[in-house]
Amino acid sequence: MRMPSLSAKPKNERKDERDRNNNEPRKLHRNNNSRVREYPALQDHPLPNRRAAASTSKDAPTNIRDGAGGPDGSSDSPKSRGLRIFSHFGLPKTPGHQIKGDIHPAIVKLGLQFSEFKICGANARCIATLTAFKTVIQDYVTPPHNTLSRHLMTHLSPQITHLVTARPMSVTMGNAIRQLKLEISGSDIDLPEQDAKDALCHKIDEYIRDRIIIADEVIEDLAVKKIKDGDVVLTYARSSLVEKILLRAHSLDKRFSVIVIDSRPLLEGKTLLHSLASTVPPLPCTYALLPALPSLIIDADIVLLGAHSLHANGSVYSRAGTAMVAMLAKEHSVPVMLCCETYKFSDTVMLDGFGKNELAPTKFSPEVPKSNSNLEALNPLYDSTPASCITAVVTEVGLIPPTSISSIPLALGRTTL
Amino acid sequence: MTDLQIHESYQRLLKNEDLSTPLAAILALTEMMKQSNAGTMFELLNELKGAAEALSKHSPNPIGLNAGCELFIEFITLFPHDAASFSELKTELIRQGQQYAEEALAYRTKIAELAFDFIKDDSVILTHSYSRVVLQTLLMAHKRKRISVFVTEARPRGMGIKTAEMLTTAGIPCTVVLDSAVAYAIEKVDFVLMGSEAVVESGGLVNAVGSNQIAIIAKAANKPFYALAESYKFHRMFPLSQYDLPSHNPGVLSFPQALSARTRPASSGLPSESSSSFSSNSSPIKISQEDIARNNPDVDYTRPDLISLVFSDVGSLTPEGVSQYLVGMFAG
Repeated sequence: MRMPSLSAKPKNERKDERDRNNNEPRKLHRNNNSRVREYPALQDHPLPNRRAAASTSKDAPTNIRDGAGGPDGSSDSPKSRGLRIFSHFGLPKTPGHQIKGDIHPAIVKLGLQFSEFKICGANARCIATLTAFKTVIQDYVTPPHNTLSRHLMTHLSPQITHLVTARPMSVTMGNAIRQLKLEISGSDIDLPEQDAKDALCHKIDEYIRDRIIIADEVIEDLAVKKIKDGDVVLTYARSSLVEKILLRAHSLDKRFSVIVIDSRPLLEGKTLLHSLASTVPPLPCTYALLPALPSLIIDADIVLLGAHSLHANGSVYSRAGTAMVAMLAKEHSVPVMLCCETYKFSDTVMLDGFGKNELAPTKFSPEVPKSNSNLEALNPLYDSTPASCITAVVTEVGLIPPTSISSIPLALGRTTL
Repeated sequence: MTDLQIHESYQRLLKNEDLSTPLAAILALTEMMKQSNAGTMFELLNELKGAAEALSKHSPNPIGLNAGCELFIEFITLFPHDAASFSELKTELIRQGQQYAEEALAYRTKIAELAFDFIKDDSVILTHSYSRVVLQTLLMAHKRKRISVFVTEARPRGMGIKTAEMLTTAGIPCTVVLDSAVAYAIEKVDFVLMGSEAVVESGGLVNAVGSNQIAIIAKAANKPFYALAESYKFHRMFPLSQYDLPSHNPGVLSFPQALSARTRPASSGLPSESSSSFSSNSSPIKISQEDIARNNPDVDYTRPDLISLVFSDVGSLTPEGVSQYLVGMFAG
């Protein structure tokens, strides 16, 4: 019964790729149009990300055109040369972007929350997306002469595109959506429409429960065992999972202290620090910015990190600065534990943080002096940590080395949703 | 069967020279199953888990034993339940357990054959402590190739001397080196062959203390470090550091605080004063070998990046391969 849906999967994936690439600003150089040739979809669709295009170089004639019609070109100096070689990094849209097509209000709202960074973090975004899709599916009515299993996806595609326009899709969302597509195409044609929709929503709930919520609980149990009395735990920025682990360890009366390392532009560590310090009794915490790391790492007994995604070669795509923390920890022989659910696994290979990245929105950027038009702020959101700097990955199937994640069947999606 | 009984049967099984700790644990569990009157799979598994816990509690170094228990319990959990009655299933499980232990004894020959291809003629090999699988490999290699062997003394138990005696009896040129002389000897060595107590999920190795430093020295001298391990020693455990091993306890490498408090008079403030009073007043303190051994670890953990290859009955694996095998076996 699953056979047709399985064969349809690669096609869907490719579609995802295209959706994702849609968001990338056009190439800087006119002669470098190989990517455009590679993804013909780019030419089919009007450029969705005008904001990003406006900030890129004016060498490319398309950018001049788009830049002129951009919603706010005001922050960019006319002499600005753009981010040059970093121009392919995805930039989140400003909230004012127009809505194309039949977008469900829940998705519009979510898109705004994404682009405003109100919902941030791989898990939160995935759960929010799936929850919004549940509403979309419930409100969906199959048009006459169509079946739900074939038509629903065409209804969902523009919704996904809208979300991707707001902010590049996370690997977690990609994995969940791929699984959802599989379920939709596999749903029984003879089922009454409401039953089919309920079944899909149930599957979504199951996915959130099994792959995220229960997985997190198992990871908490495993990771807490590695925190011993008297340990100093170092963490970077804020991972929802690391936060839960630390709170759990604290509730188990383990005596340990935490060093929260943080960095601009998002300063997410402050949120973590707040939740750790507001426990009763308060957890002893130290808060420092990334430049202070070398003098603090020597005190650490263990480093706990979160991840955005984990790739087939074992490299970890996570908040910018993570790689530095992991490398310094390795240099000082401090074990680095990465906490990551298996649904964050991506079967692509990531060699560096340059090929694919995202830029922090301008509201987080420092003020660039107007007089210096050659100065551009570059705030990549992510970086890539090599597998050699990670001691262990804590997943819901146990502690494993980062290079072995590809041998877990669950991580590859070879499982029922 | 009480905890004590199972421990006794385990100790009795260990007296058999050929049985390593995981196999002895598996056989002890089958003996327990024979006497068990569990009526359901759930009860049986609970009893087995209890017995495994009891075994590991009574043992000072439970790592190898845990690997065996874990393997057997996993096997029973996954065993197809198609027998007519539960008692029949139980008999079948006991038979399977005993058969496995029997077959497992042949694993060492298989490993020796795998490792044999990596031993060149006229090799100088360094090995550590006493390991049956390493011994078998060396004896096999000796039949067809000229080899000479350095064996470390392996304090505190001094098991290296046992290896040296057996190798010399077999006619293999063999020299015992001090544990502290490994770095001196490494230049003369072609590669290191190491037995193991357990191979863990990171692809690293748990073995008699001293293995880690030999691995570090071998890495620094760019000599291959080969580990030999039967697949029943593969253990689902991920030590992050030496102190994360289950065999580690606060007593290991602790400073004798009670002693220093007694020798240092409370009235004297200056350290020099107290040390002089210490040397003049109290009798000189003797430290015996037993005192040293009591404060020291039995096993240590070798990181996977220091290991070149792990030879096991499932093939010659890289450390990553070991972890993938383990993840595939238990996490699948």
